[in-house]
Amino acid sequence: MSVLSPDRSALGTVMDFTRVNTRRSLVLLAIGAITGIAIAGYGLFTAKGTRVHGVPPEAIALVNQRPILRSDFVTQVQTQYSVRYAETTPAQRRKVLDDMIDEEMMVQRGLEVDLPSFDPDVRVALVAGVELQLFADVLAQKPTDAELQSYYDAHRGNYIRDGEMQLRDLVATISPQRPLAISQRDAAAAVAALRQGVALDSVLTQFNLTDSRRLMDSGHVDLGDVFDFAARARLDPAVFAAARQLSTGQSSEPVLAADGVHVVVMVKRIPPVQRNFAEVSNEVWRDVTEEAKRRVRENNLKYVRSKADIQVAAP
Amino acid sequence: MTSWPLSRTRIRTAVLILALFAAGALAWRLHIIHIEDALVRADPDQAVTDPTLLSFAAGRAPALYRRHCAVCHGSDMRGSHTLGAPDLSDANWLFGLGELPDIENTLDYGIRSGHPKSHNITDMPGLGRIGQLSAPEIRDVVEYVYAFSHADANPDAVRRGRPLFMDKGSCYDCHGQDGTGNVDYGAPDLTGRSGWMYGGDRSTLFRSVYDGRHGLCPAWINRLNAAQIRELAVFLYTTARRAPHAASGSGGAS
Repeated sequence: MSVLSPDRSALGTVMDFTRVNTRRSLVLLAIGAITGIAIAGYGLFTAKGTRVHGVPPEAIALVNQRPILRSDFVTQVQTQYSVRYAETTPAQRRKVLDDMIDEEMMVQRGLEVDLPSFDPDVRVALVAGVELQLFADVLAQKPTDAELQSYYDAHRGNYIRDGEMQLRDLVATISPQRPLAISQRDAAAAVAALRQGVALDSVLTQFNLTDSRRLMDSGHVDLGDVFDFAARARLDPAVFAAARQLSTGQSSEPVLAADGVHVVVMVKRIPPVQRNFAEVSNEVWRDVTEEAKRRVRENNLKYVRSKADIQVAAP
Repeated sequence: MTSWPLSRTRIRTAVLILALFAAGALAWRLHIIHIEDALVRADPDQAVTDPTLLSFAAGRAPALYRRHCAVCHGSDMRGSHTLGAPDLSDANWLFGLGELPDIENTLDYGIRSGHPKSHNITDMPGLGRIGQLSAPEIRDVVEYVYAFSHADANPDAVRRGRPLFMDKGSCYDCHGQDGTGNVDYGAPDLTGRSGWMYGGDRSTLFRSVYDGRHGLCPAWINRLNAAQIRELAVFLYTTARRAPHAASGSGGAS
């Protein structure tokens, strides 16, 4: 009794919560702190530390806390074996579940290594997937004939069958030996001669003009007849503007361009044709849909950009 | 000495009653959660045969239906020709065979809802709009389809329409050579035995072929919880099983 009494006395002092005991407070604080750090560390550094115990009812499995839905599983089992779920064996179900878990693991691994940040295929698939969701409502809409007609009327210029032109583009070049005024004079004289019926090759020689051959650069035996869009791409804008006004056999007035003074001789011209609504209604429908998709896409991007933190260095 | 109304006895009684109510409510809620879990966890066959689960779903699903589905499919579940919403009161299904997982899958992900898992393999193309068939050809195809369910179809137009249905129009690809449709693609039965989604008169059929159709059902997976979706699925399944095999009403081909 006498041996035990000092210990009892110490224990009694510690356990006497009616008295202030600094040492006891520090010990309890330390125990609490160590326990807290241990739990936090376990949770922080192990996936199992943060797990929810038990699979929620709607899931057949949890893979790193991400559920595999029971309904998806049942559908997959039926699809894979082409029988009703009740008629599948436990082994078949287990195999499907294992496959789904494996797939989920691979997806999670892909996210873990940040596949979307560097794999172009994944990025394309992601963009396509997001757009598909965005466009669902647009694709559901069937515009009426009146809406299509209205769009057609507002965009008639988009529904023109392109014209074709075969032309000679004559140039009176400008140089120190042949200043602008001389080139303009030669070009004007060439136009007058052409309109009087002088042969084109004679005019070239007589007035010291060259053929730019801009429409004859395909490398093939080529008459130079091209669609208007191709001529627009190849000719100087002022020359093209003059050319599109000409009919077969006509010559343009001299046209000043960067490389000289041009004279266009239209050898053959098939003018553009306005296509009527009935002929292009399917194209109009496509264009209406595309425009709606573009609007939805722009609005969505505007919204997500407004929420995003984008920092741009000076390009 | 007692002072009304806060006598100690009365306070104790009130607290006791409140505690009993709270305990009762908690027990009831736990009971509901327990059955919800059992319903969601149940295998499809069990969910539609277990009397407790059936009764539970039957008690809760009608309110869900009225709130989320009736706006398109109608409070009587007969669908809408205007919206092309199928009849849900019959035993005909547009996608799948009408088994519980089929219905649940459609509820989860919808039809052309934009969800990648939705039913979106096919779409009824506007054969007139894309220029695949001319208007007179569409009238012949319509007559051919009309003849599946009507004796008064024009025989000449039916004769002209058949090769269009089988070849140029590619209708048979989805609807089958006999026009009975395909539940894998969600291609409706055109024989009229399952009713019509948009209407089976010549004029409506013409519009369907000329303009195409693009029926939609939203994905409910993130709007309703798993228990609610299963309750609805069980409700639709049992309603269809109770119905006569073929529809006689407006919607059909659900």
